[in-house]
Amino acid sequence: MDRSIIVERLTKNFEVNQKGKGLTGTISSLIQPKRRLVNALKGISFSIKPGELVGFIGPNGAGKTTTLKILSGILYPTAGFVNVLGYTPWERKHDYLKKISLIMGQKNQLWWDLPAQETFELNKAIYEIPAREYQRTISELIKILDVEDLLATPVRKLSLGQRMKMELVAALLHNPKVVFLDEPTIGLDLIAQQKMRDFIVDYNRKFEATIILTSHNMDDLVNIAKRVIVIDSGEIIFDGNLSDLVNHFAKEKIIKVSLSKEVDFQKLESIGEIKEINLPFVTISVPRPATASAAAVLLQSFLVDDLTIEETPIEDIIRQVFKGGLKKK
Amino acid sequence: MKKYLTLFKLSFQQELAYPINFVMWRIRNVIQIFLIFFLWDTVFSDPNKIAFGYDKAKILTYVFGLVVVRPIVLSAKSFEIAGEISRGELSNYLLKPLSYFKFWFTRDIASKVLNILFAFFEITVLYLILRPPFFFQIQPIYLLAFVMSLVFAIVLYSLLIFLFSMFTFWNLEQAWGFAFLLLLFTDFLGGGIIPLDVLSAPIQKVINVLPFPYLLFMPLQIYLGKLSFAQTGVSLVTSGVWILILFIVVNLVWKKGIKTYKAEGK
Repeated sequence: MDRSIIVERLTKNFEVNQKGKGLTGTISSLIQPKRRLVNALKGISFSIKPGELVGFIGPNGAGKTTTLKILSGILYPTAGFVNVLGYTPWERKHDYLKKISLIMGQKNQLWWDLPAQETFELNKAIYEIPAREYQRTISELIKILDVEDLLATPVRKLSLGQRMKMELVAALLHNPKVVFLDEPTIGLDLIAQQKMRDFIVDYNRKFEATIILTSHNMDDLVNIAKRVIVIDSGEIIFDGNLSDLVNHFAKEKIIKVSLSKEVDFQKLESIGEIKEINLPFVTISVPRPATASAAAVLLQSFLVDDLTIEETPIEDIIRQVFKGGLKKK
Repeated sequence: MKKYLTLFKLSFQQELAYPINFVMWRIRNVIQIFLIFFLWDTVFSDPNKIAFGYDKAKILTYVFGLVVVRPIVLSAKSFEIAGEISRGELSNYLLKPLSYFKFWFTRDIASKVLNILFAFFEITVLYLILRPPFFFQIQPIYLLAFVMSLVFAIVLYSLLIFLFSMFTFWNLEQAWGFAFLLLLFTDFLGGGIIPLDVLSAPIQKVINVLPFPYLLFMPLQIYLGKLSFAQTGVSLVTSGVWILILFIVVNLVWKKGIKTYKAEGK
């Protein structure tokens, strides 16, 4: 099989109850419930190869989590075709569920009052993991995540970061071939975030697992995802290499100049938008088609020591993606 | 099967994670028993008084019988289902190669075993303190029928909780309301407060068609030897039929509910 995930024209509509403000709103919605139809996914299509690690990004409410929930079989779609590893997810065949995992930063499966190792033992039974395989996987996971000392501590006494690591162990014990990660670094401190990222890359490589990852954390995407799918308002507006994202969406280029003399900034402003002044360095953003002429004007009209033309940083583009400021081309 | 056995053991640990909580719950039960016991003891303060065909000895036997049957039939954890659906925690289970209802039925059984262990101890103590008139059934056929009726009642009760909890799929905000309704039905139509045979015959006929009297009332009647062989048979068959009906309905409602499930929040 050359594709582990196939999604075609996937549509999901929700009916959402609308409630007015305050007590009067509550009462009136009791008497006359207002329902609104939300088109969470408007017929998206994409496919993913085995072993690929794909970043799934977009503003809040774009449909990222909804897609992951459908792919993992929690939600039924309104229409469309989905095939993951040869299965239809929402039939929830046990064989399918044993091959996947959905990990959400805000969800927990650990038994709150018991030590994490109890949940692990239960998952071992639920997923029918052979004893030897279980031993191998768990000792490996524990080592990578460095949680050996915490196994016997009741989950409620763990810190958020520690708990996230345990959630990760619990979710990966059965060695899933496809992993859906929703905001895996949310709420973690910087060091833990970095460890989590290393772990994801490691897991992807070691087990040749197919991974889809959603995140609002720029570093998650820049550091680990080669391919990104950008989704906005239930539609895919970009699907390709992270490096092509800039070419695709950046309307501007960045010109950095080093000036050898004080200049009239008003004159500079006529060339492009001044992003930063840190004399003698000035950063100007200009529309892409006008880049060459802008550079020419700069060199002619000002005393310039040095001049470089750069792409808009990928972080800026991703930031725009999160704001929902990008439109389909 | 092994997965549910592991779950069974884990449920035990979970129940005992808050030992004080559990002890308080048991104390509540004991106080409740005292309350009901003294209520009827006062109502029938004249030992010769007979009301609705019950004299003091009989009513106290019924009440004390309830003390035994209640923890067996009514100890259940699956009331958490409604909350899990409305909070979106159901997603956790849908992701696993596991049957949601078998999961909760296992937890119900674990809860019953633990409660029965404690109830057995309490009942012995209470029996020695209160010295109620207690009827010991010795006929094996009735004892067998009694055990069967209890097994049926246990399954019936879990199915009823599943059904009533699933209204949450369509009314996320009213998660608890329907479960509360079930508790009311269990007590008033199931014989948890008064023996149902104090009611007029036509009302009893209607109630006997419902599943509720087969939870507490009928098993007790069987134990007390108040039903003929034929009546015992009818009682067992009726609750069996209800189990069949509810099993089918629960599965149908689940299939529909899971399609409207929104996995909110989680």
